[in-house]
Amino acid sequence: MTRRTLEVSHLNTSFFTERGEVKAVQDVSISVNKGQVVGIVGESGCGKSMIARSIMGLVKKPGKIVSGSIVLQGKELTSLGEKELCKIRGKDVSMVFQEPMTSLNPTMRVGKQVQEVVAIHEDVSREEARRRTLQILSAVGIPEVEARYNAYPHELSGGLRQRVIIAMAMVMKPHLLIADEPTTALDATVETQIMALLKQLAKDGTSVLIISHNLGVIAQLADYVYVMYAGRVVEKGSVFELFDNPLHPYTHGLLGAVSSLRSQTKVLQTIPGVVPNLAHLPAGCSFAPRCSKCMARCGSEQPKLVAVNPEHEVCCHLKEGADSL
Amino acid sequence: MKGSKASNLLRRLLYALIAIVGVATLVFVLLRMVPGNPVATLLGEHADKETVERISSSLGLDKPLPVQFADYLLGALRGDFGQSYTLGKPVSELIGPAFVNTLWLALAAALVSWVVGIACGLAAAIHKSTIVDRLFMGFSLLGVSLPVFMVAMLLQYVFARYLHWLPVAGVTDWTGYILPAIALGWGSAGSIARLVRSSVIEVLQQDYIDTARAKGRTGTQILVLHALRNAMLPVITLMAMQFSGLLSGAFITETIFSINGIGRLAVQAIAGRDIPLLQGTTLLCTFVIVMGNLVADLLYSVCDPRVRKEA
Repeated sequence: MTRRTLEVSHLNTSFFTERGEVKAVQDVSISVNKGQVVGIVGESGCGKSMIARSIMGLVKKPGKIVSGSIVLQGKELTSLGEKELCKIRGKDVSMVFQEPMTSLNPTMRVGKQVQEVVAIHEDVSREEARRRTLQILSAVGIPEVEARYNAYPHELSGGLRQRVIIAMAMVMKPHLLIADEPTTALDATVETQIMALLKQLAKDGTSVLIISHNLGVIAQLADYVYVMYAGRVVEKGSVFELFDNPLHPYTHGLLGAVSSLRSQTKVLQTIPGVVPNLAHLPAGCSFAPRCSKCMARCGSEQPKLVAVNPEHEVCCHLKEGADSL
Repeated sequence: MKGSKASNLLRRLLYALIAIVGVATLVFVLLRMVPGNPVATLLGEHADKETVERISSSLGLDKPLPVQFADYLLGALRGDFGQSYTLGKPVSELIGPAFVNTLWLALAAALVSWVVGIACGLAAAIHKSTIVDRLFMGFSLLGVSLPVFMVAMLLQYVFARYLHWLPVAGVTDWTGYILPAIALGWGSAGSIARLVRSSVIEVLQQDYIDTARAKGRTGTQILVLHALRNAMLPVITLMAMQFSGLLSGAFITETIFSINGIGRLAVQAIAGRDIPLLQGTTLLCTFVIVMGNLVADLLYSVCDPRVRKEA
C-alpha cells in the first residue's frame, strides 16, 4: 500500500484586503504519496505559491487559511499553533524558494545557515551538526565543501546557492519537500542539474511537491500533475495522461503555448485574455471569458471535477456533458 | 587577501591625512583672511602702535605668512599649537583636559542615543502602524526637530529648577552629565530610531527571512539572529559618524551646562580672536570627525562580508 505523505482537502486561502476578500486558493485538494513527485502548474498569480505557503503555515497577513484541512504524515496542520508549526517546519516539511540570490542571509556563512536547521530541531553537538552539514552539502553536489562551508552567499554562483538552499531543506530528511519554482531563476544547464538532484531525492524516498509555470520542468520531474487556474484545480492526472490527453481547454492552451525548436509554426500560440482579478471572479467557470469552447452554462455555473478515468479528472462542463450523455 | 586588507587600510589612512592637512590649511588661511588685528583685540583699542608691533613680533605674527604656516604645521605635527593669547597657557595643555570632559559628555550622549534610538526603532518596527509605532516615532521626531538649546533649557527647568533632582549646570560628579547627555543625545536618538525602524521593516520583508521561517525559527529568533545584523548595517555607519559629531559639536550644550569641554574652549577662542587656541580646537575636532568616519567605514566592512570582499 502506498503511504500518504500529504493530504490537502478543500483548502481555501484568502487575502482580506481593503477592497474585499481575494480568494487565492479555492477548494483545492491535493495528495502526495511517499516518494512521489507531484507537480502544480499554472500561470503567475493562479495561487500555486499560496498552496505551498498554506502547507508551510507561512501565509502572510492579511492572508489566512479560511477552511480546509492539511494533513502531513497523519497530523492535521491547520489547527496547530505557531510554536508547534515551528517544530514541523524545516524538519517534517521544508521548502525551496524561487530566488537563490536573495533567499540566503547575506551576512551569514552558508555552512552556518544549513547547520542552523540541525541546531533548531535536534539537540546535537556542534561537531555533529557540522559533520551532517558537510555531508548534506556534498550530497547535493557542492564541490570542496570544507571551503564552501565558510563562504558567504555572494561568493557562490546561483546554481551553488540553490544547492545550498536544497541542502538546507534536505538536511533533516523531511517527509515532504516543497519546491516553489526551484529553477526559474537559473540558466538552462544549471536547471538540468537541479532537476536531476530533485529526482534523486524522490528516488531516495522524499515526497516532492514541485510548483512551476514551466511545463517542461513538470513533465520531466512529476509523476502526477495538478493544473491550476485562478485559485482552482482545473485538471489533474498522471503526467502521461495529462500531457497525452489534455482535456481542459486551459491545459490545451498551456501545452499549445510551449515553444519548440521543431514546431512548424512561426508564431507562438498564446491564450487570449488575462488571468481574472481574484477579487472579482466571474460567476461560473473562471476560465470562461478566455475559453474558445465557452458555452452558455459556463458563464453561470461552476463546473465540478469529474473523473474521466481513474488517473485523470477535469473540471469542465464539456466533459460533464460528455459524461452524462 | 590579507595584503589587500592592509593596503586598503593604508589607503584610507592616507585619505584621512589628506583631509586633515586640507582642513588645517583652510583654517590657517581663513583666520588670516578675517579683517582686524588679533593683537589689537587683545590689547584693547587704546594700545599704542609700538606695543602692538612688539607683541605681534613676540607672537610671531610679523613673520611672512609661508613661514608662519610652516611653523604652524610642524608644530601641529608635534602636538604643539603654540601659546594661547587669552589664557596664557600652551594650547596643548588646555585642550587635553577639555577633551576629556567632552569625551565623557559624548560617551554619555552616545549611550543615550544608541540605547534609546535602537530600542525605540525596534519597538516601532515590530509594532508597525500601531499606536506604539506612532508614539515612538513622534518622540523621535521631536528629538530631531527641537533645537538643542531649547531641549537643554526645558530639561534644566523641569529636572533642576522645578523637581530639584539634578544640578542645573556644572559638573561635580556624574549626575552633572545626565541632563547634558539627554539634551545632546536626543537628536541623534531620533535619527537612529527612524533609521532602525525603516531598516528593520525592510529587512523583515527580505526573502531570507522567509527562508529562516521555513527552517522553523520563531519570530524572536529570526529578529535577533537574522534580521538585526542586516538591519544594523546602515545604522552602524550613522552611529559612528554621529559619535564624532557628538565629540566635536557640543558647543551649545557645553556652554549652556557650563562644561569645560572643547566646544566651550572654541567659543572662548572665537570671542577672544585667540588664533592658536582656535587652530588647536578646530584641528582636534577635524581629527575626531575624520577618524570617526574612518572607523564607520571599517566597522561597516567588518559587519558586511560583501563590502569586505569589494574592499
